[in-house]
Amino acid sequence: MGNTRKLWLVLAALLCVSFSVLLWSGAQIQRNAAPMPEQVVADGGRPVYSRADIERGRQVWQSMGGMQLGSIWGHGAYVAPDWSADWLHREAVAVLDRWAAAQGGAGYAALPPDAQSALQGRLQRMMRRNTYDAGTGTITLDADRAAAVAQVSRHYESLFGSDPATQGLREAYAMKNDTVPDAQHRRALAAFFWWTAWAATTERPLVEAAVPAGVAPPDQAVIRPRQVTYTNNWPAEPLVGNTPPPSTWVWSAFSVMFLIAGIALLGWHHAVTRDEDGHTVPQQDPLAALKVTPSMRSTAKYFWLVLALFLVQILLGAMTAHYQVEGQVAYGVALADVLPYSITRTWHTQLAVLWIATAWLGTGLYIAPAISGHEPRFQRLGVNFLFACLLVIVVGAFAGQWLAVMQRLGLDYNFWFGHQGWEYADIGRFWQIFLFVGLLLWLTLVGRSLWPVLRGPASESKAIVGLLFLSTVAIGVFYAAGLMWREHSHISIVEYWRWWLVHLWVEGFFEVFATAVIALIFTKLGLLRASTAAVAVLFATIVFMTGGVIGTLHHLYFVGSPTAVIALGASFSALEVVPLAYLGFEAYHTYRLGHATGWMQRYRWPIRFFLAVSFWNLVGAGLFGFLINPPLSLFYMQGLNLTPLHGHTALFGVYGMLGIALVLFCLRGLRPQEVWNEKLLRVSFWSLNIGLALMAVLTLLPLGTLQLLAAIEHGYWYARSAEFMQKPIVDLLVWMRVPGDTIFSVGALALAWFVLRLWVRPRAGRAAAAGEAGAPGVAVGR
Amino acid sequence: MIEFYPQIKHAHIGLALWSGLFFALRGAGSLAGMRWPYWAGVRLASYAIDTALLTAALMLLSILPAALYANGWLWAKLAMLAAYIALGVLALGRARTRGARAACYVAALLAFAAIYGIARAHHPWGWLAPYFAR
Repeated sequence: MGNTRKLWLVLAALLCVSFSVLLWSGAQIQRNAAPMPEQVVADGGRPVYSRADIERGRQVWQSMGGMQLGSIWGHGAYVAPDWSADWLHREAVAVLDRWAAAQGGAGYAALPPDAQSALQGRLQRMMRRNTYDAGTGTITLDADRAAAVAQVSRHYESLFGSDPATQGLREAYAMKNDTVPDAQHRRALAAFFWWTAWAATTERPLVEAAVPAGVAPPDQAVIRPRQVTYTNNWPAEPLVGNTPPPSTWVWSAFSVMFLIAGIALLGWHHAVTRDEDGHTVPQQDPLAALKVTPSMRSTAKYFWLVLALFLVQILLGAMTAHYQVEGQVAYGVALADVLPYSITRTWHTQLAVLWIATAWLGTGLYIAPAISGHEPRFQRLGVNFLFACLLVIVVGAFAGQWLAVMQRLGLDYNFWFGHQGWEYADIGRFWQIFLFVGLLLWLTLVGRSLWPVLRGPASESKAIVGLLFLSTVAIGVFYAAGLMWREHSHISIVEYWRWWLVHLWVEGFFEVFATAVIALIFTKLGLLRASTAAVAVLFATIVFMTGGVIGTLHHLYFVGSPTAVIALGASFSALEVVPLAYLGFEAYHTYRLGHATGWMQRYRWPIRFFLAVSFWNLVGAGLFGFLINPPLSLFYMQGLNLTPLHGHTALFGVYGMLGIALVLFCLRGLRPQEVWNEKLLRVSFWSLNIGLALMAVLTLLPLGTLQLLAAIEHGYWYARSAEFMQKPIVDLLVWMRVPGDTIFSVGALALAWFVLRLWVRPRAGRAAAAGEAGAPGVAVGR
Repeated sequence: MIEFYPQIKHAHIGLALWSGLFFALRGAGSLAGMRWPYWAGVRLASYAIDTALLTAALMLLSILPAALYANGWLWAKLAMLAAYIALGVLALGRARTRGARAACYVAALLAFAAIYGIARAHHPWGWLAPYFAR
């Protein structure tokens, strides 16, 4: 059996096992999720909330932007509080104050420490006790707690309206006045927030691990594990005894062990398979004579769109960041009345994915006919039609989101055409389906171009083309994960499928697509043997997928998952970091290929952006990713500024840089005669990298670290509170984003200007004269 | 942030003076045919000062945004700033002849002086405010 065939079998087996485990975990999450009660009553049967209240509240929350304004269970935006943690703390303090007042005190804070401890113990017993009756679907609250719930509810009803009493908080949280204008909706919203806080503080029903009879004496027959809440004790809240459960400690330690073992194993593999397989590279650029077909030429507009979306994304990012300084205005302009924070952040995060995805879609459409040399009939029409569909989706989905956040769409249409409120899966269901159809069209267009190669005789490059095609199939088909939840699906189940989309789709299959495309590019350039490249890509795919598929679960530690999910998520996501530790090899290899021959100067800038991908993969995905990855770390860090530290450096650093590299590679072929303005590209490259590094080092890392200390010392709510976020040091750190962001923007503008000048008044002449003549062939090997 | 307004304003003024001084020296060096104005360290220092200056300016503006809507002095200053940047770029090498670069250099310094005057007077007429302002 050939090496390639063996690897294919290993990959197939790995994917079967991994997806089985992932699906089993989904069933476990569904089984163990916090129950949705039919009714919530106070002692004596007085109704507090109904199921309809809570479900309607979730709809309201989704329509106002959901995770794009504050967060739930740590997932979402960072300026407004985590509503679950905030509610939990307010409710706990309200109960304690009532009890303190009943004892004749001025309030809980004024009591002596001993009395405080006594009340805190009483509070923990009350708040953590599970009063849900599965038979009747009823949660029963103590009278004091019901009174506290009413008190906190009034606060939220004030906050989400336009009550002057909470104006300061609205500004601190970057909320517009009348975020939810309808009083009934505000009350329902409070019901939903209460339920998420209830799940975060209520212990799961006891699961007893019985020991077989006769093994131990009767009084020791049952091992009673420490009780944890539905969210595995998240958020950290000392008042109600929410501390990290033992499983987070255990699996964090084990995850580090797995990481080191994985690094050792892969190191061994690198040592024994050092490839000395040198071969002679071509005298001239094999792609210089590439025939650009009409459909390939039509992809140019995709790359213009990429640049336009990138610039708009940066502008929206600046607005979103500015809201952290001035909650409702920008330099005196009442911006929140027109473009509130939740909409600028929604568009900012979505455009990040959209422009990167557009770059890759364009690359797929450009590269498929380039590989096969086959231009199917009506291919250009398909490329143009898909582009028009993408434009309609972006404009339509964004318009729906604006109408939703401005509360002009109504709850009945929100799920289908407005704002779903799930971060990175925010667009309405109609637009999701439209996008899914668009992706299938893309898959068809790429597939029919590659078909002659796929159907042709077995060749060494066929394996790599096959892998590229499989990744396009996976990208097209797996977007359907975003269609798996319904309007009223349980939030834990929505989270499960949402992370299929965000983690598996983006971090998994796009990763394979990117690896295959890069290898194909180097193969087509004659710098790599097809057989070597095929084995390398298959092996890399196996290594990525080993951790990547089950590693999806590391996003789900605290969304109502059982301990098994923590164990699997922690162990396998640690393995995701393993290949990143060896990116030095990858980077050096790419660097050597970039200098293998004189004509590679033509591809100097795509190669440099590929190198940047390796660097940020190590720093942004590897280091900053693992920083927040072990369950114990994430217990405190989830939703603090350490999360966007990983988000920005990994999403832009890896996928953004990769998108730019691919765009530049395609532009080299689309505009072969133009002399490239090296100075603009140099400015762009260094500004983007330095700007991103400054954003990370001057703001996100120090601010996230300060928040982390605050969360550990005082509880999670405090690290996200207005009280903490309004401290002068936080203000200063937020302002420190300006230098980095300015430099970053200069880089983006330089790139846009470079692309514009390729079409508008381009520099005439042959490109890269030095490389055109061709340098003597040089032997390259890994 | 208003409690730090004086410190930020002092930083802004200090950085503006450093920026102007740096440009004056680099421009003079460039016109004299020296190479040091183009050293990477010098250029990076210049960028660092200018981005810090911009940061301080935006901080001041967010604290007291009313300046934008006062008598137009801030808009006048911003217009002169655009002219200063354009002339500065020309003076430091973009202009084709040495004479053109020298003229741009002098014009840029005059623009800087105008910015300084407008900032001090809080009036669009700047240095000339005592004569023209009503």
